[in-house]
Amino acid sequence: MEGLNEVLTLFLSIDNFIAIGVGVLIGVIVGAIPGLTATMAVALALPFTFSLAPVTAILLLVGIYKGGMYGGSVTAILIHTPGSPASACTLLDGYPLTQQGKAKKALQMALYSSCIADVLSNLALILFASYLAKIALNFGPPEFFWLICFSLTIIISIAGESVIKGLIVACLGIIISCIGMDAVHGTQRLTFDNYNLMDRVSFVPLLIGLFAIPEVLDFYLKKASPHIRAASSGVGLTMKELKASMSSIVRGSLIGVIIGAIPGTGATAAAFISYSDAKRRSPNRANFGKGELDGVAAAESGNNGVAGATLIPLLSLGIPGDVITAIILGAFMIHGLTPGPVLFQENLPVVYALFCGIMISSVVLLAVGHGVIRYFSLIAEIPKAVLLPIVLLFCVYGAFAVNNSVFDIGLMLFFGVVGYLFKITGFATAPFLLGFILGPMFEDNLRRTLLIGRGDPMIFFRGPITWCFIALTLLSLFFALRRYWLERIRTAP
Amino acid sequence: MPPLLKLFSRLLIAGASLSLIAPAQAEWPSETVRLIVPYAPGGTTDVLSRKVADLLQQEIGTVVVENRPGAGSTMATAQLARGGRGADHTILMASPGHTIGPVLYKNLRYEPVKDFRFIRNIIEIPNVMTVPANSPYDSLGAFVEAAKTKELTFSSAGVGSSIHMSGELFKTMTGAKMTHVPFRGSGEALPALLSGDVDVSFENMPTVLAHIKSGKLRALAVTSKEPSPFLPGVGTVSQLGADQGLGEFVTTAWFGLIADDSMPDEAVTRLQTALEKVMADPGFLEFVAQVGGEPAAQAGDAFRDYVAEDVERWSAVAGQAQIEE
Repeated sequence: MEGLNEVLTLFLSIDNFIAIGVGVLIGVIVGAIPGLTATMAVALALPFTFSLAPVTAILLLVGIYKGGMYGGSVTAILIHTPGSPASACTLLDGYPLTQQGKAKKALQMALYSSCIADVLSNLALILFASYLAKIALNFGPPEFFWLICFSLTIIISIAGESVIKGLIVACLGIIISCIGMDAVHGTQRLTFDNYNLMDRVSFVPLLIGLFAIPEVLDFYLKKASPHIRAASSGVGLTMKELKASMSSIVRGSLIGVIIGAIPGTGATAAAFISYSDAKRRSPNRANFGKGELDGVAAAESGNNGVAGATLIPLLSLGIPGDVITAIILGAFMIHGLTPGPVLFQENLPVVYALFCGIMISSVVLLAVGHGVIRYFSLIAEIPKAVLLPIVLLFCVYGAFAVNNSVFDIGLMLFFGVVGYLFKITGFATAPFLLGFILGPMFEDNLRRTLLIGRGDPMIFFRGPITWCFIALTLLSLFFALRRYWLERIRTAP
Repeated sequence: MPPLLKLFSRLLIAGASLSLIAPAQAEWPSETVRLIVPYAPGGTTDVLSRKVADLLQQEIGTVVVENRPGAGSTMATAQLARGGRGADHTILMASPGHTIGPVLYKNLRYEPVKDFRFIRNIIEIPNVMTVPANSPYDSLGAFVEAAKTKELTFSSAGVGSSIHMSGELFKTMTGAKMTHVPFRGSGEALPALLSGDVDVSFENMPTVLAHIKSGKLRALAVTSKEPSPFLPGVGTVSQLGADQGLGEFVTTAWFGLIADDSMPDEAVTRLQTALEKVMADPGFLEFVAQVGGEPAAQAGDAFRDYVAEDVERWSAVAGQAQIEE
């Protein structure tokens, strides 16, 4: 009873509620600006939390994180520019919906699926943290290797019109991801002695260039892109539509939770896995990529499902799963708390007060999101001749802001041209992105596995988790290829 | 008084008072000070820099923290070394990346010692030679013996991290057969150590301290010169491994402020005085204890010599370990 009292004293302070509200609002706005990611917002907010109480400080950062996850989808849906990497998958169906005048529907679907996934993810954190953390620890390089193999099979389902074209761009993405220092020996690969390429190709400039710039180029080169004006960009989401996507949302959330609990995989992969799973199961499979609400729901529930779950390895093991949780770990340390088993022993009331706040943050996200959708929808009303120069400005700024590097602006423009070439030649862009993200993970884990196993290939088959992912990979490949051949036979003259 | 004389005397007074103001205007800092963190947000360097900036502000006015990650801290350091406008108000939080970077990246356009002013070393954090709790090796001696006959593995936060280089140094000093398994950051490396996928790691103290205390990891030795008060009962590598050729083995992660060599003496002195106060602050000392480190002592030339020694050590290790140059 005394414990409960302490939790409530820690949690029920007006500061905490203000922190969550302000955090989520900042997150949504920053997340929605291309190039300004939730990671940056969390890093910038960190010094302001020094003077706050520990629980309030962490809740502010968690609020920004969650808001940012949703905010990134707004520009993905409205202007084909993912505000954050994790929302790259949302634009596959979100942007076509905007083009059809259904921006409001897409934004609402993104919000509701984000919030539902968030709640489920939080529940997983609160109820199963210690259990999921144990699974995460069993994820060594061989298990990761097969998880990445499984994720690579998704390329087939997001390849667009042609599987062969999809595989070609995915390979290009993998090649681009090889640029920079080799992770095992430190060899410089494909850098042509250019100092700026010695690390790796920066992700944010590539992302912005690939998706936003082709839209801008397309508009000015064709000068005929019709602007769709509908009353507040269409009607809102109906209950029936939400219900129809509910199973995708729940499955996406669970995928997000599992991926989130394993450090080092990330929300982008979760969104794509969830999307491809929903596509495989959907009767409207053919409509995916052309404006399917279920696609938005699956992508957003996948990436938001990660948000609560990344706190599982952080709180229970002290291991940050991504950059944002690494900053939150820093915040814990500044306030004299050490996440990990010791935190649960020594500061249990703080942990439970955080859990209360994290649950509340999902509700706040719903409220804030609801409030801002109205204004965000207006973006879809702005004539493109006015909107696109502003978008371009943000793109340049966003590409620069990540590393304060002018080279990155050039990189963004280069990938803009690449993206445009993909667009006019009918190559899908998403497999390129997936190749770029998964390529290094594939290579790293392949080489790590061989190093750990001292060259013995049997390590790839060392336990139930590896077998489970081998089976999933083979099944996924089998079904994808079967569908591909069936369609070829059907469309053959 | 004739009008002209009046004007002249007024001008004289005005001039005299201006000359009094002039030194005040030139006092450093005359603009906002920028503290560059050469790594991404999160992580020890970032958190430490933000803590220092927060306290430094009370002494010298606004300090803005900027993250400029890239190429293992060398990107930001190269920018700093270029000097130019604002360089006299820019400081950078250097760490072992500053001394390992030149070994790892070719075409660096700066000399890690010659091109900089060394303001003050702030904190030193030892690495801990750590094995999983279920490891068969319960002492440094037993580990070295095993590593000479069997091929063991050690993990690190990436090629060229202080964790990696400590492992390579260990190899060259003992003749142990160890394979390096690199991860991207300690966050990814830690699970492999906890689960026993790798045999040993020379991890930074803050990453493993809580796990050692909770019994999930076992500390064999610390890499600093003296034992750490945070791990009582754990000896140093140089003491415990003296018989195995490790008598000179000392590696610590250090974090200190450097600036471009164009920074004036006055600014360096002002920063050094301010940092003395920052480092005496109870909040700072609490933070240092939190990360398992100790306040560092070297300032100015002593700091420069310390860094120069580090550069020498790592280039020797890299040469022997055949890391790309």
